[in-house]
Parts: sequence; structure tokens; C-alpha cells
Amino acid sequence: MNAVRIFVITGTSRGIGRGLAACFLKRGDVVCGCSRKPATIKHKNYRHSLLDVADEKAVVKMIRGVVAEYGRVDVLLNNAGIAAMNHALLTPAAVARSIFATNFHGTFLFCREATKAMLRRKTGRIVNFATVATPLRLEGEAIYAASKAAVESFTQILARELGQTGITVNAVGPTPVPTDLIKSVPRAKMDALLARQSIPRFGSIEDIVNVLDFFLAPQSDFITGQVIYLGGVTG
Amino acid sequence: MNARTQVSLKKVRDLVVETLPQSTLKSKGEIIFGPDGALDSLDLVNFLADLEYRIDQVFGCEIVLASEKAMSRNRSPFRDVDTLSGYVVELLSE
Repeated sequence: MNAVRIFVITGTSRGIGRGLAACFLKRGDVVCGCSRKPATIKHKNYRHSLLDVADEKAVVKMIRGVVAEYGRVDVLLNNAGIAAMNHALLTPAAVARSIFATNFHGTFLFCREATKAMLRRKTGRIVNFATVATPLRLEGEAIYAASKAAVESFTQILARELGQTGITVNAVGPTPVPTDLIKSVPRAKMDALLARQSIPRFGSIEDIVNVLDFFLAPQSDFITGQVIYLGGVTG
Repeated sequence: MNARTQVSLKKVRDLVVETLPQSTLKSKGEIIFGPDGALDSLDLVNFLADLEYRIDQVFGCEIVLASEKAMSRNRSPFRDVDTLSGYVVELLSE
């Protein structure tokens, strides 16, 4: 992999995605980000696409644009995600569809298109974003956890399908990180969730970057189809 | 089929043939995928990814070959050079 890596990171306007983009830009990498909202990052090595990750044509256009400008995609981080805490019986079908569209279909489309670019160079790293909500079977997060369970399953099968291509596909499952995604969750609920982790604290961007560094390292070319949860949560 | 499409069909056919691994054509004629096809599924994925990029370069169109249209057909549009070329022209004409 080249010294300056070309990253595609989804959901970079806020939260974890914004933090990851800032981290890799600081290290000298190029970051091509996207979100439904305008860019919140200004940096000479940052490119932003205004799009919905579930919009097939927009995703194709973005990845082709990255390849046209930089000649390759080295790393894809499928971070974009939405959640809506609610009892399953009180969840409108439109909300469930929207969560699956962003969390699963978006991940699938970016994987498909980035992989096409990576295949040409027989190398690449894809990291999808899972959640501890799936193994913890969190009440009130049935749809969110189910959408991320789909991401995990997809990650593991795609890893097998790409096993001979030089492209690895893994997932990181963060614990709650203090971002907009969880700001509406009651404190008591959050404390109860953290108590179910082996290490009961919020995660940080640095905790996630630590796992990403492992997956992205050149020496990790024999690591694929894995899901690593933070906080000591086990699958 | 109008004159413009006919020109496109020849151009597309040439592009398909250029993008296919040449050893493939020599060994298996023009059957790309399926029974007696030259490519296995991973080779096909590689080939179609290459072809999408080349179509984009030559025609300036961002098409996705594995479309719903392709998947719903009784006969795979990826079967042989002529079928695939015709299918690409169809997508380019949309």
C-alpha cells in the first residue's frame, strides 16, 4: 500500500466519521468523505460528496470520481449509520426501512463499488461498522441491532467471496461513543448499557482508531471476516 | 437500430473483446460465462468491474452491469461477447 493512503469514509459530517476523517487527515492520508449534509471539514486532502449512502447512482458516481482523481481506493470505512431507539412494536415500517437503507444497503453499495476499484490493484482494506447492540441484544434497539447484524453477516461472507483477491473485509463494533447518535438516550439507560460491558465506560474515537490500525496494517493481510467489539463485549 | 447505435455496438464489442483476458478468447471462443464459459465467477467479477471502468472512460457513462435488468433475464447477458455487447448498448441507450 502507498505511503499516502486514499480513504473513503462514509458519514463524515459529524460524530465518529468526522473524528476518523480528522485523524487520518492529520496523519497525511487523503480522505474522501460523504454525508447527506454539507462538509464540516476543511482540509486540502479532504473531498466531500453530498449524498445518501443508499442512493446507488450517487455511490457509483462518488467512487468513480475518487478513482478518476486519485487512481485508486485503498481503504473503505463504512461508518455512516442511523439509529432510532424504540420498542419494536412502536416502530413505524418507514423508520425500519430507513435504518436498513442507511446501515445495511449503504454499506453494501459502498463495499460493492469500492471493491471494483480495489480489484484492479489486487489490494484493499474494508472495515464495516457493527455495534455492541447486536451481541448485547439491547431492548429498544431491535431494528438498529438487526441492521448491524446484517452488516456483520455481509462482512463475513464478503470476506470469503474476496478471499483470493488481496482485499480484506472486517468489522469493528464500537461501544457507545458520546456523539449525536446517542445524545437523546436517557442517562440511566446508557449507564445500564455500559454496565453490561466488561469495561464499563464510553468508547472514544481513539479506541476505534486502534482497531482500525490493526485491520489496516499491511501485516494484517491474513485477517479477514473478523468482527472486533470494544469494551470486552463478546459475540 | 439507428446508425449511432450501430456504431456504438461495434465500439462496445471491440471494448468487450479488448477487456477480456486474451487467453480466454483463444481457449473458449466467445463464450464468457456459464456452461462452457471461459470465466469462473471470480474472473467474471473482475472482468465486469474492468469493463464498467472502461465504458466510463470511453463513453463517459457510469453504468452498473449487474443491474436488476440483467438479473431478471432468462438468458444471462454475460453469456457471450455478442449478448454482452448488445446488453451494454442497451444500458448506454437509456
